[in-house]
Amino acid sequence: MHIRLRGVMVAVAAASVAAFCVTAVSMSGQAPAPAAGAQPYRAPRTTDGHPNLNGIWQAFTTADWDIEAHSSGPGPHPEIMGVYGAQPGGQSIVEGGEIPYRPEALAKKKANFDNRMKTSITNDPHRFDTGDGELECFRVGVPRATYMPFPFQIFQNPGEINIVYEYKGALRTIYMDPHFQAPVESWMGWSNGHWEGETLVVDVTDFNDHTWFDRAGNYHSDALKVTERYTPISPFHLQYEATIEDPKVFTRPWKVSFPLYRRLEPNIQLVEFNCVPFVEELVYGPLGLYKPYK
Amino acid sequence: MRNRVLVLLTLAMVVALWAPVPIVAQGPSGAAATPNVKSGGTATTKIVWDPTAPPPSNWTPPRTPWGDPDVSGYYLNLTYTPLERPAALAGKPLYTAEEAIAAFKRAVALDAEVDPTTIHYDWKEYGMDQWQSPVRPNRRTSLIVDPPDGRIPPLTEEAKKRQAAAAAAERAKGPDVRTPGTYTRCVTGNGGPPRIPGGVTAESQIIQAPGYVLHLIEGNSDVRVIPLDGRPHLPQNVRTWLGDARGHFEGNTLVVDSTNFLPTRDFRGSSSGFHLVERYTMADARTLKYEFTVDDPTTWARPWSVEAPLPKIEPPLYEFACHEMNYGLINFAMGSQIREKEGIGQSGRAPVFGQDEER
Repeated sequence: MHIRLRGVMVAVAAASVAAFCVTAVSMSGQAPAPAAGAQPYRAPRTTDGHPNLNGIWQAFTTADWDIEAHSSGPGPHPEIMGVYGAQPGGQSIVEGGEIPYRPEALAKKKANFDNRMKTSITNDPHRFDTGDGELECFRVGVPRATYMPFPFQIFQNPGEINIVYEYKGALRTIYMDPHFQAPVESWMGWSNGHWEGETLVVDVTDFNDHTWFDRAGNYHSDALKVTERYTPISPFHLQYEATIEDPKVFTRPWKVSFPLYRRLEPNIQLVEFNCVPFVEELVYGPLGLYKPYK
Repeated sequence: MRNRVLVLLTLAMVVALWAPVPIVAQGPSGAAATPNVKSGGTATTKIVWDPTAPPPSNWTPPRTPWGDPDVSGYYLNLTYTPLERPAALAGKPLYTAEEAIAAFKRAVALDAEVDPTTIHYDWKEYGMDQWQSPVRPNRRTSLIVDPPDGRIPPLTEEAKKRQAAAAAAERAKGPDVRTPGTYTRCVTGNGGPPRIPGGVTAESQIIQAPGYVLHLIEGNSDVRVIPLDGRPHLPQNVRTWLGDARGHFEGNTLVVDSTNFLPTRDFRGSSSGFHLVERYTMADARTLKYEFTVDDPTTWARPWSVEAPLPKIEPPLYEFACHEMNYGLINFAMGSQIREKEGIGQSGRAPVFGQDEER
């Protein structure tokens, strides 16, 4: 009796799986990423015939803490911050796991980590000598802006693709047609993009050297060049890759990659995160230049 | 010697201005100064902004590839027209075209002069004086078009009390980094919306994508995201420096309604009741007509409205990493504290930046 029941259960299970697969194929909105060998996903098109990347996207990694694999642990000032400031553990977003530092450059990364909370309160360029700029509400550069724990929004038209990051409301213009040469170095770099089939490829150049890749002190020089690739892999996911080239700091180019998830809540929008007023006490208080209202 | 050069320069300017040709600077060396490449040109008296004139008959307002009215482009927020109508022009909302040109030429001559005792930067050397841009004469005698007297309405009693209390609290706190306006603190650019033409960092851009408009000003690289799908505003308790914008098209005009401003944002003394409606319309191939209405019953006795023609300029805009490089704020705060200790108040000299920059 029970053998026959088990046979029925196996048959029902098999039928359910088959039905799910049939359903999954016909309701493409609910399919997981296609299996190897399946047709690559083809995104809906914009009016000029390119994959439509418009929407609000967000990464769900812990890479802003540390882009390499890391344990959880207390964060800075645990005696005040408790869990609010604690660091979650996470896996590396670096392909191959580790960043290929030049031996002499690795020492600076370790020094960066030890000094990540130091703010240099000066009214001259020495203010960038130490500490993680994110702490002081500075722009975080590319690719870090992509994996900050905030959403961002892509706005696509034929001449430009603009990305607005909720963090600082930072806007980045990717010039598609025409391209422009960078007039000057900047925090977010200068972006020229083009399409390779289903992939948006962005060449980002002319960075300054003031930004870090994460809170753990991973850094670059002003020779940094980043090549990003955004590829739709389902209606709700982009695959993001960024190749880092900086021969002054690393022995070879290296890559970070992770999926970006579409934010689906009804009426989802970026909610302003202007952190400048949140850091005025931190930055200017040590000089006696921030006074609370009584 | 220097004064003679200045006089000769001014005379050269006046002579040049009478000719109906684009105005180009003559620097002291006699060489033509470089026009602001981002401005896409130089000032001209040939085309007067006439708000009573119909749109050009041989021009059709453009559309985006997905069919929305196209107001996108790079624009310059500059004008020689004052925000409020001067007392001497009371009762005269419009110049004739000839009067507008004459007023424009007077303003250009004044602007091109360099008084070494008051000037901080000579923008002319960078090609950034207003007359080195496509700004042009305007028949209107003030940017404010309503109320009809062209002046900001009186404050309410509530606003006067509130501003007096805020001034007292500021004095009790003493000068610090929060004493200057939000632009100097690098919290917002040019004080936040609406962008009243004039002052520094005048470049802006309107970007369109399906279902959205972005309004970006170069000042502080502030960007406002404007959804067009009719969604409701954020709840009332969620407040921001740049407001929460919602847009829709009425004919060829983009109408943007912004609410949810932080009360500390303090646009010209306003508070939590601040409500802004802006209208963007292409008036011709090279001009965006920018209008706005401000109402705040907790601050002004009635709403007030502005109209300004904004000329198109060439790309690009530059990253304005204001807070990252805000070296001046430390000097400003230290200087204010030293002056307070010495018992000396504000210098009494006209500030380098206009009031809308300092808010």
